[in-house]
Amino acid sequence: MFFHITLERNMQLHPRHFGPHLREKLIAKLMKDVEGTCSGRHGFVVAITNVEDIGKGLIREGTGFVTFPVKYQCVAFRPFKGEILEAVVTMVNKMGFFAEAGPVQIFVSNHLIPDDMEFQSGDMPNYTTSDGSVKIQKDSEVRLKIIGTRVDATEIFCIGTIKDDFLGVINDPGAAS
Amino acid sequence: MARGGHGDEDEEFDEVEEEYDEELEDEEEDEGKVGRKRSRSQFIDDAAVEDDEEDEEYEEEDEEFGDDDRRGRRQKRRSGSEFLDLEAAVDSDEEEEEEEGEDDFINDAGADIPDEDEGRRVHHPSILMPEDQEDVDEMERQVYERYAKSSHIEYAEDATDVEQQALLPSVKDPKLWMVKCAIGRERETAICLMQKFIDRSDLQIRSAVALDHLKNYIYVEAEKEAHVKEACKGLRNIYSSAKVMLVPIKEMTDVLSVESKTVDLSRDTWVRMKLGIYKGDLAKVVDVDNVRQKVIVKLIPRIDLQALANKLEGREVPKKKTFVPPPRFFNIDEAREMHIRVERRRDKDTGEYFEMVDGLMFKDGFLYKTVSIRSISSQNIQPTFDELEKFRKPGDDADGDVASLSTLFANRKKGHFMKGDAVIVVRGDLKNLMGWVEKVEDDTVHIRPKMSGLPKTLAFNEKELCKYFKPGDHVKVVSGVQEGATGMVVKVEGHVLIIISDTTKEDIRVFADHVVESSEITTGVTRIGDYELHDLVLLDNMSFGVIIRVESEAFQVLKGVPDRPEVVLVKLREIKSKIERRINAKDRSNNIVSVKDVVRVVEGPCKGKQGPVEHIHKGILFIYDRHHLEHAGFICAKAQSCIIVGGSHGNHDRKGPDPFDSRFGGLRSSQFLQSPRRLPPRGPPIDFGGRGRGGRGHDSLVNKCIKIKSGPMKGYRGRVKEVTGPLVRVELDSQMKIVTVKREDIADTNTIATPFRESRYGMGSETPMHPSRTPLHPMQTPMRDPGATPLHDNMRTPMHDRAWAPMSPARDGWEDGNPGTWGISPQYQPATPPARSYEAPTPGSGWANTPGGYSESATPRESSYGSAPSPYLPSTPGQPMTPSSASYLPGTPGGQPMTPGNVGLDIMSPTIGGEEGNWFMPDILVNILRPGEDSNVGVIREVLMDGSCKVALESAGNKEIVTAPPSELEVVRPRKSDKIKIMNGSLRGVTGKLIGIDGSDGIVKLDDTYEVKILDMVILAKLAT
Repeated sequence: MFFHITLERNMQLHPRHFGPHLREKLIAKLMKDVEGTCSGRHGFVVAITNVEDIGKGLIREGTGFVTFPVKYQCVAFRPFKGEILEAVVTMVNKMGFFAEAGPVQIFVSNHLIPDDMEFQSGDMPNYTTSDGSVKIQKDSEVRLKIIGTRVDATEIFCIGTIKDDFLGVINDPGAAS
Repeated sequence: MARGGHGDEDEEFDEVEEEYDEELEDEEEDEGKVGRKRSRSQFIDDAAVEDDEEDEEYEEEDEEFGDDDRRGRRQKRRSGSEFLDLEAAVDSDEEEEEEEGEDDFINDAGADIPDEDEGRRVHHPSILMPEDQEDVDEMERQVYERYAKSSHIEYAEDATDVEQQALLPSVKDPKLWMVKCAIGRERETAICLMQKFIDRSDLQIRSAVALDHLKNYIYVEAEKEAHVKEACKGLRNIYSSAKVMLVPIKEMTDVLSVESKTVDLSRDTWVRMKLGIYKGDLAKVVDVDNVRQKVIVKLIPRIDLQALANKLEGREVPKKKTFVPPPRFFNIDEAREMHIRVERRRDKDTGEYFEMVDGLMFKDGFLYKTVSIRSISSQNIQPTFDELEKFRKPGDDADGDVASLSTLFANRKKGHFMKGDAVIVVRGDLKNLMGWVEKVEDDTVHIRPKMSGLPKTLAFNEKELCKYFKPGDHVKVVSGVQEGATGMVVKVEGHVLIIISDTTKEDIRVFADHVVESSEITTGVTRIGDYELHDLVLLDNMSFGVIIRVESEAFQVLKGVPDRPEVVLVKLREIKSKIERRINAKDRSNNIVSVKDVVRVVEGPCKGKQGPVEHIHKGILFIYDRHHLEHAGFICAKAQSCIIVGGSHGNHDRKGPDPFDSRFGGLRSSQFLQSPRRLPPRGPPIDFGGRGRGGRGHDSLVNKCIKIKSGPMKGYRGRVKEVTGPLVRVELDSQMKIVTVKREDIADTNTIATPFRESRYGMGSETPMHPSRTPLHPMQTPMRDPGATPLHDNMRTPMHDRAWAPMSPARDGWEDGNPGTWGISPQYQPATPPARSYEAPTPGSGWANTPGGYSESATPRESSYGSAPSPYLPSTPGQPMTPSSASYLPGTPGGQPMTPGNVGLDIMSPTIGGEEGNWFMPDILVNILRPGEDSNVGVIREVLMDGSCKVALESAGNKEIVTAPPSELEVVRPRKSDKIKIMNGSLRGVTGKLIGIDGSDGIVKLDDTYEVKILDMVILAKLAT
């Protein structure tokens, strides 16, 4: 799920950036530092939309760095248990398949793939229904439901299922070609 | 002792008979057992016959014996043993127990030992000193008295602990002696002793006990050892030579106490068979008859149909079973085909139909077998999934629950449930009710039900509950085979969870009872012994691999075979050692790949994979690819089929126009390419040669080609790497090995080796010796601090290319000794013409002079090289012709072996190299001086070939092990009365004690010889305690 939230961060800026473009530099650094990171609480920070407020800088003794408290708004993406996501399959193996929804990696175990889908090994490992009508392979797009998340310091890992109504392949570029 | 009536007796007799029958039946399948069992039963009969002689007297006794109406042959038969077993039977007034007869008495004896002790203590003296054995009446009276008394004691059962304590044997009581007897004859021996006691009045033993579980020994109670010996004399089952061992008082109770096995057998419990061909097999209890101590179990039959058919047709059945038939479901059709008659019968008790074949009952392919409770074990049965899977017949998952609940419960630990656990009711009216644990009181668990409309909390017996998990829960396995692993639940099948492990991303099947909810992420065990997950290890047959999984007792190792992933399971002992050397390899473009560099595989089965290099060994890289799911993400590839990411690809091209020999491509590239972003390309490689020569030793022997002329290595040819006192370390030409030989054992092969020497000069190929040392540097400074000084960068090169990379030019040329390849050397080493000219006129001493030549010629480097070589100058040219330059050594202790490794450091701190001796040896204490870190004390564990040392931190040497170059190590100078080790001179390696210091000399008392020596403090190192 995406959130538009306001976060705060203390930015340290090197004295060489002090000057007329200090603000721009600070924002550039903020974007560089923050976008793409992941915290367990807020999930992945996708993009900074607005910098609300830059507080007064405090010069650090000894280093000359200046610390600015920065308040910014950003779009954060955090997967939740039970959430339905659309994701792209990145890897298929006999234990299941991995899919990615933006920065989040989701693993769908073969226990969570409908029973009528069988693993087919080979050049392009895939899961195929017995009649061959549905095929999950690399680059397939699937809709899945997250049943569990594991939040590490820098990563969120999810386990998903497609063993439910309206879940499964939604578009398969590989099959079309 | 109360006794049942005659009728009872008969019935009981029948039962016993039945039991025997059954045993006999068992024996059909198990010939091995027959001997023992039959002998026992025979023995009992024998005893009876023997007893007959005494029957007369006992008959009388029996008849008058109290008011009970015991009678009959059986009684008589037992009388003898009964009598002697008095203690055992005394206080057990429970009929059932009695009935078990001789099978049981010992256990009973144990169970009630304290009471019994009391009885014994009180009464023994009188009974043991019968004035007249013939006086049956008297004896009988005593016996009777004893019964009465002891049963009285038993009734006062609610003895407090203190009273119980008082019953324990003390020093005043008779002792227990352990006597060795013939194996399998324990009972017989005990009974013989009893008989003997009856027969002879002078025996002074009090009791004899044979324990079921103890083979080869019986216990005899007596005051003195002599009494025991006396009693044992003449018994054929006790060897006269056998020693009699005293059981310590403290252990006496243990001998006879029996763990009160509350065998809580119930239906559907999993058990294991203890005996017969089914030994170890899993069985399921179908029915329990507590009265008869029998259970009906369901087994997967191990029946040899052919043998069965033969038997039924009356053909001869070979007596000896050579093999145990594999477990297989019984198939009626198959049996019919073999003309085995299969009857279908209804069991009169259960009303179920069974197929009967030769007295065996089958149903659904399973064998239903009636066995004694004793022949099965029900404790700690942890059926594996495989076994359970087998038991679940296809199409039989009506209950869907593979693992029987009762078994799960049996294995529960205390404190199984905790507040907050999600549970589900599995038995009773409220089955399938979910809830959360609120409170646990012993066996009672209070839960808060999930359903509304129920009381706030409900109390359940622990056994009615099972833990409950939902898919998506993150759990940790807390017991069982997978203990320690964590993962996410993906599927719940009854009470079995399927978990995706966090680390391996593989499925694990576990019992719900074995896991707890947890947010922790671990792999489980990651270490056995010295080896840890992801270590590079050397295996038995010189193969090597990376540990990719640690199992309960073995490792999975991905072997270093680049073509295909080869995983082997190895035991701890199959691992020879951990490979910790930090070496480098060259990738496809001859870039130097070192550990942690990111490389991409460009050919082979793993083409396209990319990741940081975790280990390098023999030109094989182990790459860790996060996205690679197999083998814990490890990929094994040849260094040559990989490309360093971000490295230069132009190296091949460089080689073309390069005037230097292609073999130096690596050399050069290492210089450039190792750190293309870090440093500008450096000047011509002249430095290596120059430095190499300059830094090289002061002993004219070093780097000479020599031949070993005596000793075990006689005939080998090699190159001197280092001279330490009377010992010389020689790198053998024929083997990749450095050996230490005595100096007098080697002969200079000047004449033979001229071509070598020439070539050596040309290109500074003396360096093979340095490189072996230099690697230390790159490991710390240049790699971590690439920007430091050009010097560092220089330093690493020789190491990469010469000594360590298998393709190293130096070694190549040197090993095959092909002078042709060296032809270009002058070009390569343009800055050292003086050296060459030197050497020409004085082949023998050429190199001794080189330092001089070098310092003159190597002007380009002089500035950086500083004064390092200069200290040598006075000495070396002075003795150009002395091959055995022992006189050097005292003058420049340590200087010589150290310098090569030290060159870089010399510039910064020229003093260290020149003045410190660092013939590091294992076990000595050192200070590790790392730039930017405090100095640490450590213990050298191992000195590596290149001069660097593996140092265990802390003075006790029990902390982590680091590898440090000699330049970072400083020997801890011993103080007075410290234990020391001598690092150099003729006494190298000898330990001693520093008993005094006199200026720069230390007075040392040697450990071995107690000699007192005066040695230079420089060569003494403090020994780790």
